[in-house]
Parts: sequence; C-alpha cells; structure tokens
Amino acid sequence: MVLQAFGGVGVDRTPARLLRWGWRLGCALCLLANIHMGWAQEIRFAIAQAPLTLDPRYAVDAASERINRLLYRSLVDFDAQGRPVPALATWQVHDPWHVSFTLGREGRRFHDGSWLTAQDVVATYRSLLALEDAPHAAEFANIAAMDAPNADTVVFTLKDPDADFPARLVMGILPAHLIARHHDFSRQPVGSGPLRLVEWNRTLRLERVADRQAIVLEEVRDPTVRVLKLLRGETDLLQGDLPPELVRYLKRQPGIRVEETAGTNFSYLGFNLQDPLLKNPRVRRAVALAIDRDAIIRQVLIGGSRPATAILPPEHWAGNPALQPLPYDPAQARRLLQESGLALPLKLTLKTSTDMQRLRLATILQAQMKKAGIDLRIRSLDWGTFFDDVRHGKFQLYSLTWVGVRTPDIYRRAFHSASVPPTGANRGRLRDVELDALLKRRDWPAATARIHALLPYVPLWYEGQFLALGRGLQMRAPAPDGNWDGLATITRGVSQ
Amino acid sequence: MRFLLRHLASVLPVVFGVLLLTFLLLHMVPGDPVEVMLGESATAADRDRLRAELGLNQPLPIQFADYLGRLAQGDFGHSIHTHVPIAELLAQRIPATIRLTLLALVVALMMGVPLGIIAALHHNRWPDRGARLFALTLSAMPHFWLGPLLMLVFALWLPWLPVSGMETGASIVLPALTLACGLAALLTRMTRASLLDVLGEDFVRTARAKGLPERTVVLRHALRAALLPVVTVVGLQLGSLLAGAVITETVFGWDGVGRLLVESIEKRDYPVTQACVLVIALAYVAVNRLTDFAYARLDPRVRFV
Repeated sequence: MVLQAFGGVGVDRTPARLLRWGWRLGCALCLLANIHMGWAQEIRFAIAQAPLTLDPRYAVDAASERINRLLYRSLVDFDAQGRPVPALATWQVHDPWHVSFTLGREGRRFHDGSWLTAQDVVATYRSLLALEDAPHAAEFANIAAMDAPNADTVVFTLKDPDADFPARLVMGILPAHLIARHHDFSRQPVGSGPLRLVEWNRTLRLERVADRQAIVLEEVRDPTVRVLKLLRGETDLLQGDLPPELVRYLKRQPGIRVEETAGTNFSYLGFNLQDPLLKNPRVRRAVALAIDRDAIIRQVLIGGSRPATAILPPEHWAGNPALQPLPYDPAQARRLLQESGLALPLKLTLKTSTDMQRLRLATILQAQMKKAGIDLRIRSLDWGTFFDDVRHGKFQLYSLTWVGVRTPDIYRRAFHSASVPPTGANRGRLRDVELDALLKRRDWPAATARIHALLPYVPLWYEGQFLALGRGLQMRAPAPDGNWDGLATITRGVSQ
Repeated sequence: MRFLLRHLASVLPVVFGVLLLTFLLLHMVPGDPVEVMLGESATAADRDRLRAELGLNQPLPIQFADYLGRLAQGDFGHSIHTHVPIAELLAQRIPATIRLTLLALVVALMMGVPLGIIAALHHNRWPDRGARLFALTLSAMPHFWLGPLLMLVFALWLPWLPVSGMETGASIVLPALTLACGLAALLTRMTRASLLDVLGEDFVRTARAKGLPERTVVLRHALRAALLPVVTVVGLQLGSLLAGAVITETVFGWDGVGRLLVESIEKRDYPVTQACVLVIALAYVAVNRLTDFAYARLDPRVRFV
C-alpha cells in the first residue's frame, strides 16, 4: 500500500527498499528470539524487587532476607507456630545469662569448601556488632561475650536475662576467614545454604548445591509483565506481589498451576494517637466499625486471606485466639462519632503508598467509611516520602503490612512507649503505662488484649500467599510468610 | 576551535543549574537514605554514625561543594546502598540506553517521515486520513500502556518476540517500538504539515514549470526544505526519548540509565540519582547543540558566529 502510494506520483523507491530490509531484519530478530526460548533447563523465577544485598548483616528488605535464607544457614529457625527450633545447632540455657549452642553435622560445608565451625559463628556475630552501619546490630547489643571452647560449641554470655535469646540467632553464618579479609558478601556471598550464587549481573544466577539445578531470579517490576512472562514461558514461577485479578486470571490459564495458602503477614490501618481527633478512643473505634473486612477479603483479596485481630496470628505460640475481629457496624460507628460531639461528615486523611493494590483498598475503605459519616481523603505518596511521613508522625491514618514477623518482640517494638521513632516502630505514638508493664512481663495474652482494647491499629487481615507455576514444575505450597524456601526443593516434574 | 570552546562554555551554566536544582530537590523531598538502609531497628546513635560516615550531617552548601569538587576530578562517588562506584554503574547502563534510544529514533524516522510524505502527497484523500488517524492514535498512547499492549500482541498472541529482558538481540525490538511510536506520530504530522507548506511555495512551482520529474521536485527540492522543522523536532525529541526511556526501561526490564534513576530515587541513593540526572541533562544539551549544527548544514541561511 505504501509502495503504491509512492508509486502513484512516481517518487523514488528508496523508502520501499528500506521497508523491505526492515521487514527482513524484523523477521531475523524474531527467529533469534525464538531460538532463545528453547535454551535452558534452568528454573526462572520473576520477582518484583531484586535483593539489595546478599550480606545477611545488612539485609533489611524482604527480597534480601528471603534469598539470604537460602544462601546461608543460621543457628536457629522457626516452626509453624513461630517457636525457635534447631537449624545448625541445638541449644541449652545454663542460667539466665549463659546460653550454649552445639553445632550438628548437617549443613556445615561452606560453598568455598571450608567447614563451618564455632569460630565462624563467633566471627559472624562479632563482625555484626563491630559494624557501624549494620541495621541488626542493635538487636544483639545484649551480648556481653562469645566463646568457642571447641569447634562445635559456642557460649553466649548476656548482659541481661533474655528468655527469647535463641530466637534472635536467625542470621546466616559467614566464614571467619573471609570476614577477616573483609570479603564483599553483598555481591559474592559464601554461605552454607542449599543454594549458592553463580553470578549476579542482570539476573541472580543460583545453583542448588544438592543437584546443581540452575535457578535464575529476574527482577520484573511490572505485575502484568510478570504474568505475561509466565504465560509466554519466559519465566517458570511467580510468588506473591500480584493483584488478585491477575491471580484469578492465571487460575483460568491452561498449563498454569496456582496454589494458595493462608498467610501470616499482617495488614493494618494505623492511627496517629497524637492527632486531636484520633486520640479519642471512640473515634478510633468508629473507624474500625466502619470497615467491612469480610467483604474486602471475599471480593478483593486473594484466597487464603483471613481477618486479623493481632500482629501475630492465633496459631502462633504467642498469638491470642480469644480475640474477636471487630464487627462491621456503620450505624454504631456513626452513633459513636455523634456521641463524641463531632460534626459529620468527619474529615480524615489516609496516607498510603503508590502501590496499585493499596490504592484500590484505600478507595474501598473510603467508600465504606462514607456510610458511617467519615469523609476519608486519600493521599498516595512514593514509598520514600510515605514512610518518612509515617516515621515522623506526619499522618492521621496510614496503611501498611508487617511482613515476616516471627517473635512477640514485635509488640514491644510497635507499641511500647520507649519505641517511638527513631528508636522503634511505635509509629502511632501510643503511650500506655499498663501496656508497658504487660510487655515487660512478657504476658502476651494480656498485652494483646490490651492492644486490642486501646486500638492503636485497626487489624485488617492476614494476606494470603500464592504461587503460580509453569508447566511441569513441582514445588511445595507457599510459606505463610511468603519466603522462598521452596526453591531449595523445586523440581521439573512430569507435565500435567 | 574557539567556536567549539565558546559553545562548551555556554553549556557550563546549564550543567551547574541542573546539578544545583537536583541536589536541592533531592534533599528537600522527604525520605532519608539512612532510614532506608538501617530500617527501624537501629538506634539513634547508629543512625548518627552512618549519617556522619556518609557526610549527610554536613550543612547542604558544604555537601554540595564537596560533590562539585569530586565531580570536577571525574569522581561521581559510590552508591550509598551497593557501594559500587557510580562511574562503573553508568558505564554499564549508558550503552544500553543509547542503543535503545538510537534504535527508537531510527524506527520513528522510518515510520514517521514516509507516512508524512504519503499524507502530504495525498492531501485530504484516504492515505492522508489514514496517516493522520494513525498518528493521532499513537500519540494518545502512553508508554506504560502501549508497552504491555505490544507485549500482549507480539509476545503472547503472536509469539515472535520476548516479553521483556535483555537476553537476546530481539529483546530490544518491543521497547524500541514503544519508545518510537510517540515520536513517529509527531514526525508524521510535522512532515505532512511542513511538506504541504513547501509544496505551495514559488520555488516548487518553478521547479515543476521547468519540467522536472515529480520525484525530483518532491525529494530534492520540497522535502529538503520541509525537513528543516523536522530536524528541530527530532533534536528536541531525542532528549525526550532519553527521558521517556525511564518508563519504557522500567516496564521492559531494560537495564539502562532510566531504570537506574527510578531505582535510585526509590532508595534515596542521592549520588546515583544526581549522576543519572546529570547524564540525561548532558545528553539533552549535547543533542540540542548537534541539532543547531545540523540546522546550519541543512539551511545555508543559518550561520553560527
């Protein structure tokens, strides 16, 4: 058609030649692209966010924590109820100040071939305490001394008694000889975990130690692109970080297997208790009563999501199954606001990030609260700005999720009077003497009941977890906290 | 030589302005790299120590002066998060962005200029209407939407090209096409409008009256004059392509300067953000200067003094 158009006025045919060559070049590139698709037996995993560091001493983001669990082994891990269980070592509490750990035989070969000993454990924790810019150093400030009387035993001496001390030792162990050489673990990790790093360039190339299965992690930020890559066969596995409609779409696709499981990551609506309106407990309760959690869970969240009552789920050893979710009662919410002498509609502002799912949930909350006489305005901010505002108390309401919480220490970090930022995560600035005393006594049932009554957060839900597998892949169900431990055993089975 | 030096000197205030503005904006927006690095568990003392180590506790003028001093020695500094030298990061990323941008430009020229010519030569007939509709449709599509749409068509429905990534040579086709579409639309409209103007000029009528073949009249006489405004647009838009690559690179997982910029802003990695903005600003300035020179080559009436 183009040629005819040119030809119609007798113009030079050079553009036509160019178009022909362009078409040929395009076809050649397409061929190249399809040659690539037949390549490898590697297992490709598309992730929303690449890890920032592979040095467990510096890891704070979820992706780094999840991959470091596979590259390194720690002394201790957790069972399904959140109780610490032996990983590299068993332990014995001699008295409130002394805990000894005895290394077992499993998982003690570092990826460089050296043998993991008690000296490596001591060197790892000493280096952590010596680093000025390590985010986790403060958690181990209670350690007074560490000794390795033999190759298999480490004795920790504490400054103050700490019944939960073993549960803190979940950081990966590094080889002492590389620590001494100031090895860059952030890009060249050497651990004793089930996976070892081959290369980290554009993608993170890993190899499973047991069978040399290649596993490639590729950062693909856009959720739609991740789904398209799975459907196209460019990636084999997706886990988490997809909006529910895309998960539902994947469920309908032939050759894609989606597995969902109950989650433990806790989503909540946080109040600023220094705000003149929200320091009134009736107003906080009215906001809580104005939210129809069940409808949101049913309509908008992925399978496996369930209503929440406290940060730790009821099945956790420090969870509180006696707590009941707050009901949905907009009429009662409206009455509470009127009894507080407030003019309706009550104007409140909710800050949230730019994440599409969070924005969608915010608009649903906005619509639900309208019925209770609350005019909820939404401010969506980029992550850095949003989190900075939350840390500095520049908000009325905000929504966030606690990810991967395993120990009841979280209650102290999130609600104790001494944990107001910058020294903790008491972002709502709750100050309650009774709660402080309960937290000090580690009386978790009473403390969680008190938090439930004070309502510094509106507990929303525990987000369900899912994974989507391409044709022929076999992997165990996703972990409730969304970790990637399944990569240690994933296989290419028989096509279904 | 003096001419070149004069032009280089005129660039310096622009670069200084960009550096100052970026530096101030980055430090004005909320968000603290120390918070991002240390999380919420760290003590206030830890935060202060790290802030001092990174030089973030210094007054802003001193931080800026330090930065300029290092930059004058060719030292972009290190990434706050990964500790990798920024020059190394840029050396990895700039070629990818240039490759993408240049291919997008070539595709846009190959689409836009011929379509514009066809539209002008068939003024108000169906090829013209078709070209205008095509241009309007393309210019109305934002990159973040067009990208996934092209993926759906060319990677999923017609499995010809990879969805994203940089593994094969063909990986560049879809991002380049996405980036090219907006410019192609603009070039179609510019070429059409400009050629229509020129075709009504006296010198074109004279050329026809002399009995020259129509293709000579159009290609040698009319098109050369009509391309002057198109060259200006191409120059200006090449800068925009670099900036537009920020979104396209993010959607397609293309490891260029744009993606590095987005990541560094999210992590509040100030030195990396500043370096990326500087590179993009320098590219803008350089392309604009080159456009000026090209203009002088195409139009003998334009002279630089």
